[in-house]
Amino acid sequence: MIKIENVKKVYTTGDIQLTALKGISLDIKPGEFVSIMGPSGCGKSTLMNVLGCLDKMTSGRYILNGKDISGLVDNELAEIRCREIGFVFQSFNLLPRMTILENVELPMVYAGLSKKERRERALAALNKVDLGDRIKHRPNEISGGQKQRVAIARAIVNNPSIILADEPTGNLDTKVTKEIMRIIQQLNNDGTTVVLVTHEADVAQYSKRLIRMLDGEIINDSEVTDRIIF
Amino acid sequence: MNLFENIKMAIDSILSNKMRSFLTMLGIIIGISSVISIVSLGVGGQNTITGEFEKIGVSTIRITVKSAEAETSDYITYKDIEQLKEKIGYIKYAAPITYQTGIASSEKKSRTAMLYGTNEDIHYIDNVELLYGRFFNNIEFEEGRAVIVIDETAAKSFFGTSDVVGETINVGSNTSTKKAKIIGVTKSQLEMFSNMMDEEMPVIIYLPATYLDILYSRQSKISELYIMADSKDNTEAAGILAQNMLINRHGNRDRDVYKVESLMKQLEQINTIVGIFTAFIAAVAAISLLVGGVGVMNIMLVSVTERTREIGIRKAIGAKTSNIMFQFLTESVIISCIGGIIGLIFGIGGAYLLGQLAGITPSVTPQIVIISIAFSSVVGIFFGIYPARKAAKLDPIDALRYE
Repeated sequence: MIKIENVKKVYTTGDIQLTALKGISLDIKPGEFVSIMGPSGCGKSTLMNVLGCLDKMTSGRYILNGKDISGLVDNELAEIRCREIGFVFQSFNLLPRMTILENVELPMVYAGLSKKERRERALAALNKVDLGDRIKHRPNEISGGQKQRVAIARAIVNNPSIILADEPTGNLDTKVTKEIMRIIQQLNNDGTTVVLVTHEADVAQYSKRLIRMLDGEIINDSEVTDRIIF
Repeated sequence: MNLFENIKMAIDSILSNKMRSFLTMLGIIIGISSVISIVSLGVGGQNTITGEFEKIGVSTIRITVKSAEAETSDYITYKDIEQLKEKIGYIKYAAPITYQTGIASSEKKSRTAMLYGTNEDIHYIDNVELLYGRFFNNIEFEEGRAVIVIDETAAKSFFGTSDVVGETINVGSNTSTKKAKIIGVTKSQLEMFSNMMDEEMPVIIYLPATYLDILYSRQSKISELYIMADSKDNTEAAGILAQNMLINRHGNRDRDVYKVESLMKQLEQINTIVGIFTAFIAAVAAISLLVGGVGVMNIMLVSVTERTREIGIRKAIGAKTSNIMFQFLTESVIISCIGGIIGLIFGIGGAYLLGQLAGITPSVTPQIVIISIAFSSVVGIFFGIYPARKAAKLDPIDALRYE
């Protein structure tokens, strides 16, 4: 599914060079649920952005679904983000002027689907996250947990092969965190590969595999033994 | 990602900032409306001038004697005119005009008068429309009888009514006037200016050129002659033949004293001048359109900055560079186009309003409408490209982090 080899990422600001990823190799198989943990500045978000094709690596190889995507140009990466990857962000990142339904439909607009198909698939995705009844509301009219569920619906609506969640529960309280993690776990049970970045150990407990990072390197990669399953 | 999707998105965005969108459009509105009203008034003015000329007749030729080079013997005589009509088949009508500025007075009133000494042919050449009575005939011309034809404005001025056939007024120079009988009343010719005519303007009086000679006790010295050919195509030939005949009769081939002008050419010249003038003012007005375009660009740049995060989100969920570019470009084109359409409406309205004041019927042609809408779209594209490119080239990560 995902295979990266010796991925380096160097940020250059003026004369100062900052190495965020110091040659990371990683193999994620279909159906896995991986958590990436580490203190701030350890490079976990950078890794996430590289995996999500939002950021280009400085060197290394990235093979997604058997295809080498290391040297692709912007528009090709956009195409991959559109069809293969679903993002869930800490701050939800919904478009405030659009309704919930329109927000969920948006990725399919860029995928070039017809209006009818968009509507059907958006409603199905919203039902999956138990939010089929608030489709005409705007993001500022619903709670944080609901916003994140809309974001998840938006992430899965194009049937991506992988979902990348960057601190998805970072802005939510414990009760809502549980709800969101239950939904994510459910998606994983249905066959979607999930990669989750977090700095909370109890959130990582919902996943199957835990990768610990420090200073741009993987220091530990192991199975989650005390996994919480709903 | 289709066009309809884009337009819907652009309209949503424009509507979410109504006041700002309107103010942005204002520049385009002012630019387009001023260009439209100026151009349609200019074209309308040309049409009006052409219309006035056509009343006179475009197959008319004017032969003038260049006074600077001419000797007394070079001036055109009544005999010349008779011969021209008789010998040159192309010439249908030939009328001399000898002007005098004199006075005309009734018992109550005395006014400055433009006295046009001519013959009956002027009636056809000038296409003078008679409201009452008749024009003087050839006999009256030859005998130099005291008969006159005045225009309606003059009639009303002297007698308070239009039908004044049979009345007498005094005409002549400032020092001596003679009684003359009004035999016809013409429609006032220069309708375009008639609403500007007041009591200070001279009245227009036609009288036999021979009688004008008597009034001023002089030998006829015709320096201006109007000729009308039997058809439009023969106009030029008639002019040349007439010029040649005059030269032969006066034996002045060595001196170039007769100037032949066709009214058609004059009309073209005037229309060219009006056209250049219109284009010049329109160009000045178009500058405001340019300023409007800069306004559009300015607001689009602000909009791109404001919506940096939105752009980041759109890119993260799969928008291509071209999608973002097209989204912002659509927005600026729609703003400019709506501005253009509103400007068009105001421009046409303004043209009719100003036209009413100036006595010109503006001419709003489909071309003006199409060109103005197309031009405002071009303004939208031109000034929208830079902001749209800026938006499209944003790095998704930076854009997502933008607060």
